[in-house]
Amino acid sequence: MNALTFSTAIYSGRVQLVTIRQRSLTVARLRVLLVAASFALLATMAVLRIGYLGLTDAAHSATSFEEALLPPRGEITDRNGQPLARAFPAFALWYNPDALGGGTALVKSPKEVALELKAIFPDIDEFELTERLAKGKAGYLRRRVLPEDANRVQAIGELALELPQETDRYYPQGSMGAHVLGYVGADGHGRVGMEAVLDKQLRDPATRMHSVPLSIDVRVQGALEDELTRGMRATNAQGSAGIVLDVDTGEVLALASLPEFDPNRIDEAGARNMFNRVTNQVYELGSTFKPLTVASAIDAGTVTDLSRRYSALPFRQSGFTLKDSHDLGASLNVPEMLIHSSNVVTAHVVSDLGPARLKKTLADLHMNDRPEIELPAKGFPIWHSGEWPILRAMTVGYGHGIAVTPLHLANAYAAMVNGGIYRPATLRKLAPGDVPAGRRVFKASTSARMNQLLRMIAVYGTGRKANAPGFRVGGKTGSADKPSGGGYNHSSVVATFAAAFPMDRPRYVVIAMLDDPKGTVASSFQRTAAWNAAPVVGRLVPRIGPVLGVVPDSTRDVDLTDLAPLVPKGGGE
Amino acid sequence: MNERPYIPRSGHAAPAQARYPTSKRAELKIWWREVDRVLLGLILLLMAIGTAAVAAASPASAHRLSTRNVHLPELYFYWTHLKWQAVGLVFLFGASALSRENARRVGIVLAAAMLFFLMLIPVVGSEVNGAKRWISLGFAGFQPSEFLKPGFAILLAWIVSWRLRDPQLPVVATVTGVMAIVAALMMMQPDFGGTILFAGVWFTIVLLAGIPLKRVGILAGAGVALLTATYFLYDNARHRIDAFLGGGTAFDQVDLASRTLLAGGWTGAGLWLGVRKMNLPEAHTDYIFSVIGEEFGLIVCAIIVLLYLAIIVRVLTRLVDEEDLFTLLAAAGLCAQIGGQAFINILVNLQLFPSKGMTLPLVSYGGSSTIAVCLAVGLLLALTRRNPFLYRQTPGLKALIAKELEA
Repeated sequence: MNALTFSTAIYSGRVQLVTIRQRSLTVARLRVLLVAASFALLATMAVLRIGYLGLTDAAHSATSFEEALLPPRGEITDRNGQPLARAFPAFALWYNPDALGGGTALVKSPKEVALELKAIFPDIDEFELTERLAKGKAGYLRRRVLPEDANRVQAIGELALELPQETDRYYPQGSMGAHVLGYVGADGHGRVGMEAVLDKQLRDPATRMHSVPLSIDVRVQGALEDELTRGMRATNAQGSAGIVLDVDTGEVLALASLPEFDPNRIDEAGARNMFNRVTNQVYELGSTFKPLTVASAIDAGTVTDLSRRYSALPFRQSGFTLKDSHDLGASLNVPEMLIHSSNVVTAHVVSDLGPARLKKTLADLHMNDRPEIELPAKGFPIWHSGEWPILRAMTVGYGHGIAVTPLHLANAYAAMVNGGIYRPATLRKLAPGDVPAGRRVFKASTSARMNQLLRMIAVYGTGRKANAPGFRVGGKTGSADKPSGGGYNHSSVVATFAAAFPMDRPRYVVIAMLDDPKGTVASSFQRTAAWNAAPVVGRLVPRIGPVLGVVPDSTRDVDLTDLAPLVPKGGGE
Repeated sequence: MNERPYIPRSGHAAPAQARYPTSKRAELKIWWREVDRVLLGLILLLMAIGTAAVAAASPASAHRLSTRNVHLPELYFYWTHLKWQAVGLVFLFGASALSRENARRVGIVLAAAMLFFLMLIPVVGSEVNGAKRWISLGFAGFQPSEFLKPGFAILLAWIVSWRLRDPQLPVVATVTGVMAIVAALMMMQPDFGGTILFAGVWFTIVLLAGIPLKRVGILAGAGVALLTATYFLYDNARHRIDAFLGGGTAFDQVDLASRTLLAGGWTGAGLWLGVRKMNLPEAHTDYIFSVIGEEFGLIVCAIIVLLYLAIIVRVLTRLVDEEDLFTLLAAAGLCAQIGGQAFINILVNLQLFPSKGMTLPLVSYGGSSTIAVCLAVGLLLALTRRNPFLYRQTPGLKALIAKELEA
């Protein structure tokens, strides 16, 4: 009995243990599934969250290959690779009054912080800044902070002074070529100049690693702006415009409109000066049209004998008296007409030529449309369509009743001196094979004759002050009264000198224009182009000639021996 | 026939049992047949991803941790990580080669030793960043709490399995007591995140030990209450939870991490081409998931989440037809510990959980703790080893679920 009880006790204990083992295992197995399910739930949550963040959170811009490896915007260089516009990583200074998590915005007093900031940026007005910091309104304190200055701001130790990194456009040449380059707006898109034209290319990740070379030569641009500024200051002119154009390719080597603006610092004053006088403003350019008229007449065969004399006396035409600004004698031949700039004789030449042919020549020179160049701002000429009456043709012949941009004039002169081929102007650097064929406007013989005549004006006539020794400059002055109200304002002129050099083998056209120059000591109290615009070219050409491969050479010149006897100073009567 | 049955006598060792002749080569073969090769593959894949991720994050952390006097080379953490990983792999394979019994013994001894060191910390520990977690051995330091992790689950599972010998033993009370000691020691450091992780392991094991579901509910309620208490008692925890709930300020850690995570889009910026990671503190440890997001993309992030899930599901579903309670509990506990740490880290990076200061196991740079993680994984591999030629009594996953649905 006793033994039996003992054995059953063991037996029942074993059974119990086995049951416990079985039950524990079953429970554990089931609950393991529960654990697995909860981890599956967590993982689903995480994956859904990843999907949600990836699909919705557009506020965070993605780091792309492009952002990591490429400049944020392509660079612009001049034709020799000198940088004109660079992408520059910089900082801005942002005031975030909530950075400390509410309560006070700053740890130190606003006055202390303002003084510390002034120590870094001396141009800050500390009183104004103290007020701003105290007011606690978020905003930019400064748009451009250099990296070393950013470190010093960081060292102030104010969390509210945040330094978000911003890519910046930097123009190392300052205001030089501002109208060509333009600037980059706060939205990251280019404005005004080539920044606007090339915007897509400069932003496109596929192309922005390559800098874009312009046709501009920074040395020529600098010299042009310098001389124009000097001419402008010497004569108290309102503004001035200038262009240097390669006659064989149409490439613009320099293009300046003054007063300039600084693309590094766009302010209200700068915005007023963004208007481009070279491509956007149309002017009556006056006597600079006379060579074009003569070229048209020679080309048409209505001027064949340059010794033929025309009456220089005032005459009435269609109820309007045509006369010159001062008495030039009873009669002049064509070279004398150009040298002395006679309106009356030009009118006679036009009357022989006829309005239709003059109009066709000017239309061939693209003066009936906006100038051909990449810049977005291009002025439409004042151009009368339809048949021109003879009086209009006569005034157009000496540059009145038609208003074009200085760029139109440069293009026309290039066609006149380069052998007669018109090519559109371009601001892109052209590879030798890419030069457009252009279209013929003048015969080569006409062009050769015009080169002689232009040179004669600089040697004997109104362009003498532009005749830089050895550079064989030729060109024509033009001083046109500015239109005002219904008529002309006789006390305000636009003085232009349109030139080319070297005339024995013309390579560059130079236009210098002064808007409303005054008679000053520097211009011998004269307001005409011979005294203000021509000297600008006279000083400019010796500066840019050697740079462009034109060396002064007194032994070379265009042959004037057949025409010199026709003018008094050339050994004529 | 003349052999007598063995009778223990003093001075006489038991005769060696008859065994198949073994060699290193044969053992290796056995190991290869028995080990869960899918699990091993998943783990090695994660470690490889970790190598690439640490390479990506290394420049950011090297820049950040360089001082005026000490300049860390860009790939400093990468090379160091490789060294630790190499050592870790030795531990991983070594541990996985242990028999189940030896794995248990190692785990228990490790846990006991680390509990001892944990008690020593208030006396001899060295303070880093305001928390006493490290014991310095002169040449190197180690965190006892890190090395407690692999042993802790095994210790608790072993204690619970006592019940199979004597149902009267208060096993649940005992493991809860161990947990209380560990929690107290951890909060003294203080290490709130670590405490939560150990509590998670303890909860899993207690759950599997079969406590009534009603008590599970009570425990969950108590957990919430405790969390609320810590919120008011611990400044550090409060700041982090406040930052999580309030969205924080721009440029705090959470915000920086989310900027970094999303900076690469779906496909990533490319290795070493990330920009935002450079501003991220703890890029190589706590926020390595965000660095992966920037450089390898959100798709890779999702793949990593799924890899962890795959490891957990692989281990847990195979446990369903496990016949040994200790193995079942220990493996589930280890799994909860590794998976828990991984998912806390990932959810912190995804801004679904307050910032915790926890690394991504197997992926993050960990220094000496890499060894601890590898040891845990190795022990898990050892516990899940099974002879593929043995027939199993248990009905298997399908039958179990069917039975459960019927009931």
